Amino acid sequence: MTAFTKNRKFSEAITGYLFISPWLIIFTIFSVISLIYAVYLSFTSYNLLKPPQFWGLEGYQRVFQEELFLQKALPNTFKYVLIVVPIQTALSLVLAFAMDQKLRFRRFFRTIFYLPSVTSSVVISLIFIWIFAPQGIFNQILNLSVNWLDDPRTAFYVIMGMNIFTTSGTLMLIFLAGLQDISPSIYEAAQIDGANGPQTFFYITIPMLRPVIFFVVTVGVIGCFQVFDQIFVMTAGGPLDSTTTITYLIYKWAFRDTTIKMGQASALAVVLTLIILGVTILQRRIIEGSGSSAEK
Amino acid sequence: MKSPFKFLSVLFIAALLLAACGPSATPTPEKIIETVEKQVTVKETQIVEVPAEKTVVRLSGWASSPSETALLESLLYKFSVENPDILVKYEPITGDYKQALLTSIAGGVEPDIFYVDIFWWLELASNDVLLPLDDLMSASGVKKDDFIPSLVDAFTYNGKLYGIAKDFNTLGMFYNKALFDKAGLAYPTDDWTWTELKDAAAKLTDLSDPNKPVYGFCTPPDPGRFPAFVFQNGGAVMTSDFKDTALDSEAAIGAAEFYTSFRAENIGAIPSDLGEGWQGTLFGKGQCAVVYEGGWLIPYLRDQFPGTQYGVVMPPAGPKGEGNLIFTVAWGISANTKNPEAAWKVVNFLTSEASQKTVLESGFALPSRKALQNSDYLKNNPNSAAIFNGSFNGAQPFFWGAVGSDVNDQMGKALERVFKESQPVADAMKQAAEAIRKAMK
Repeated sequence: MTAFTKNRKFSEAITGYLFISPWLIIFTIFSVISLIYAVYLSFTSYNLLKPPQFWGLEGYQRVFQEELFLQKALPNTFKYVLIVVPIQTALSLVLAFAMDQKLRFRRFFRTIFYLPSVTSSVVISLIFIWIFAPQGIFNQILNLSVNWLDDPRTAFYVIMGMNIFTTSGTLMLIFLAGLQDISPSIYEAAQIDGANGPQTFFYITIPMLRPVIFFVVTVGVIGCFQVFDQIFVMTAGGPLDSTTTITYLIYKWAFRDTTIKMGQASALAVVLTLIILGVTILQRRIIEGSGSSAEK
Repeated sequence: MKSPFKFLSVLFIAALLLAACGPSATPTPEKIIETVEKQVTVKETQIVEVPAEKTVVRLSGWASSPSETALLESLLYKFSVENPDILVKYEPITGDYKQALLTSIAGGVEPDIFYVDIFWWLELASNDVLLPLDDLMSASGVKKDDFIPSLVDAFTYNGKLYGIAKDFNTLGMFYNKALFDKAGLAYPTDDWTWTELKDAAAKLTDLSDPNKPVYGFCTPPDPGRFPAFVFQNGGAVMTSDFKDTALDSEAAIGAAEFYTSFRAENIGAIPSDLGEGWQGTLFGKGQCAVVYEGGWLIPYLRDQFPGTQYGVVMPPAGPKGEGNLIFTVAWGISANTKNPEAAWKVVNFLTSEASQKTVLESGFALPSRKALQNSDYLKNNPNSAAIFNGSFNGAQPFFWGAVGSDVNDQMGKALERVFKESQPVADAMKQAAEAIRKAMK
């Protein structure tokens, strides 16, 4: 009997693995192996044309001596995260709260708000290029003549605005799920105690949503640290490097420069991973530390 | 009953998986079709003729337009008729060509013949990725003298030739005839100088209509335009050994002063001032009366702005004579090719006078053979002739050594800082030179 179940369990496991194997193979080849290989490359000098040569920490040293990294990519990336994450989190929370009320046309609005998230980022980028062109609709409505994407002072903010616009839909959906998880009896109790709308929102909704907020902020921070495609399409890091972020710099070193610096680019990729890891751990501490009542 | 079924289903899934993995191992979908065909022929007929012995040569390049691809395919068809023993497989790359090529080299699966852009060719030659062509060339009796000298020099490294220029472009001065007529100016000629250019720009500028201002001359912060002025002023972008930049020399700073003066005096503009990314569009719209562009503007105007009356002459000479930029792409052969002779045969065929004449007459590109200078086509097309002839006097390849992308970046940024942040020209050029020197370390 036991032998039979063991055997059965074993063959079930095999079947299970076979079912997930298409994904597993792709994941191993394109994620696990490439990740390990990238870490290896970060300790080498590699121009794609000659085999990689080991050079220890030289690549990391070069990253930290590079002005483009220290003066542009690093501060730009942090600026991006610090501006985009709070705004998109707050905006999506408010949107979710509004969509949770018994409004007319609720489904219609939910679809509208979610639509940008399912549209290709390249398409959205192109739309924004046209909206913010010198003769674009934005300038025409406000009667301005600013060349938004070609001015080092404004280009980055346009990209930030666009990303807030596109991601808040997805985040709203996550918040909505979280909101519907909160038991109506708590709201009823609050109502009986005489709490008004804002009080319910700040003292019940937000604390109850803490785990969801942690999830949304974490996903947002990671996504923001990795912002690439919109910059690639809209500004290619310009004007005057004002939109160069760490991921764009990695791409530039790995593929754009005349002399390919694959090793140095991999080193920066590892540095970025460590930054994201550090920030996520820090964030977990802060959010968990500030109250564990709502922890599930 | 159950277990054999299970075993079979496992086998079935495994077979599916193997089948799914199969195609990804072969680089192109065409290959699969071919092996299938061969198997069929082997089964049906007993006699297998040439295919098995055919030398296969893979050829790759970017696909710039369907009609250009069709032209290359027709040339390759002619080749296959003349050389039945060689099978040329054309594998065009869409998307980022350099990225695709370099990764295929890194993986050891690069094509035998591929496009090599002047801007990064040396990176390939100095890493022994390209085959020197001198021996193959002399063995088949092809002379270097038959090609335009500057194009031969452009692909020569350590005395050896690593690529045969496929075609090229230089900068021509495109001028809008209607705007010249309106301003009462005579059309420019090949012997204009900077002085005439500046005078004309002042007279051509007409800002009376705020919705459609017309500027005399457009000066984009583009590293593919500005260096012509540096050469015309006797300067250089890089020193002759490419070990240092010369952008902070007096000649280069002087050229930048002149180049940026048009916009400073409100008789010139950069494309983004007028809400466009490219001055070619502004030329077509009649908002830039004069632009420096390559031969690619000719088909663009024909397609997008067919009514434009324009002419092309060589860029005006500066204080130190003529100067121009050469943009060119060569056929290179991989150093790892198993069939260098067959690959050379293909390259030789594609760069032969007959093939190049076909390319020239199609109007897509200017091929690299000197003899074409006297062709009927150029006699009948003075605009193309101006671009062709630009390659002879004072023209230098668009190539700045191993840090080329940094040089381009910095040159563009220096001009942008002058245009957008009003940085003094000399400071901007010095800052660019410093940044380039740092990148070289």
